Amino acid sequence: MKCKAAHSKLIFFLERELPEPEMKAVQEHLAVCPDCALFAEEMKRTLSILETEKVSEVNPYFYTRVKAKLDRPSEIQLSGIRSSVLVRVLQPVAFSIVLILGVYGGVKMGATGAKTGSAFTAEQEMVPYLNEMDVEPLETFLME
Amino acid sequence: MSDQEIIEQLKQGSEAAFRKLVESHQKLVVNTCFGMVHNREDAEDIAQDVFIEVYRSIQQFRADSKLSTWLYRIAVNRSLNHIRDNKKHKWFQSFEKDEEAKSRQLFQVESSAADNPGYEMENKQRAAILYGAINSLPENQKVAFTLNKYEDLSYQEISEVMEMSVSSVESLLFRAKKNLQKKLYQCYKKKCM
Repeated sequence: MKCKAAHSKLIFFLERELPEPEMKAVQEHLAVCPDCALFAEEMKRTLSILETEKVSEVNPYFYTRVKAKLDRPSEIQLSGIRSSVLVRVLQPVAFSIVLILGVYGGVKMGATGAKTGSAFTAEQEMVPYLNEMDVEPLETFLME
Repeated sequence: MSDQEIIEQLKQGSEAAFRKLVESHQKLVVNTCFGMVHNREDAEDIAQDVFIEVYRSIQQFRADSKLSTWLYRIAVNRSLNHIRDNKKHKWFQSFEKDEEAKSRQLFQVESSAADNPGYEMENKQRAAILYGAINSLPENQKVAFTLNKYEDLSYQEISEVMEMSVSSVESLLFRAKKNLQKKLYQCYKKKCM
């Protein structure tokens, strides 16, 4: 058996869900392939967490808590309504307002920047050109 | 008191029957919820809601299936809703809430480590990897895997809870295990386990 084939069956091997000949083949492969054997060991340890993490003891206050929750339905419903209104309506509205303000602010700032920028450029470009024409017309320049 | 008697008395509004129901099925419900959400506090909160739902809708229970099957079904649905809500609202969660959750998680890990001296750092890491792999499974595969591993339910029992055929459950579990193995192998290759 090759490593790839063994890998594809490892979890079923660990769960003892393979037919007997395949179990034997994987077992033999693991005996001669240290890399696959190491992965099998790691996977076995990781999967064993499922057993240790199971809830083994019961919470002694569990029933009291259930009863308390059951006895205040109006409060639960109210808080449920509040949280659903908050989550479904208020939050999207708040985010939309922030988004719209952001876009509006951006447009405003862009427009202001564009106006001052164009005025500045026109002034810069026009004044020296006109002045130059006044002081030294083209004909004079060519004659010289 | 048998399940049938509990149901009958519960339908008549008996508080003692409700207490009996909670006490006898608490572990089953909390374990199922824990298998789905992997957080002890959340699992207990969801389990409380499961019993409240049972109490309020006991009149609709027609005893077509076993009481435990009904409890599993409600526990799975509630847990899935909890996971979906968490995913949906994660984006809206504020920084403070994240910090709160982180500190709560840290406290939980520390307290569980203190409760159990044999609880090692390595196990915590392994648990995180395993939960990550289980959480990445598609919903149906995750439900089937959780019921099989946490509650040791047979394929037949899982098929009753999930309302599908036994062969579908077999296929779901096969794919779930394949996917888990793939995720764990990727992790092994990256030397994170």
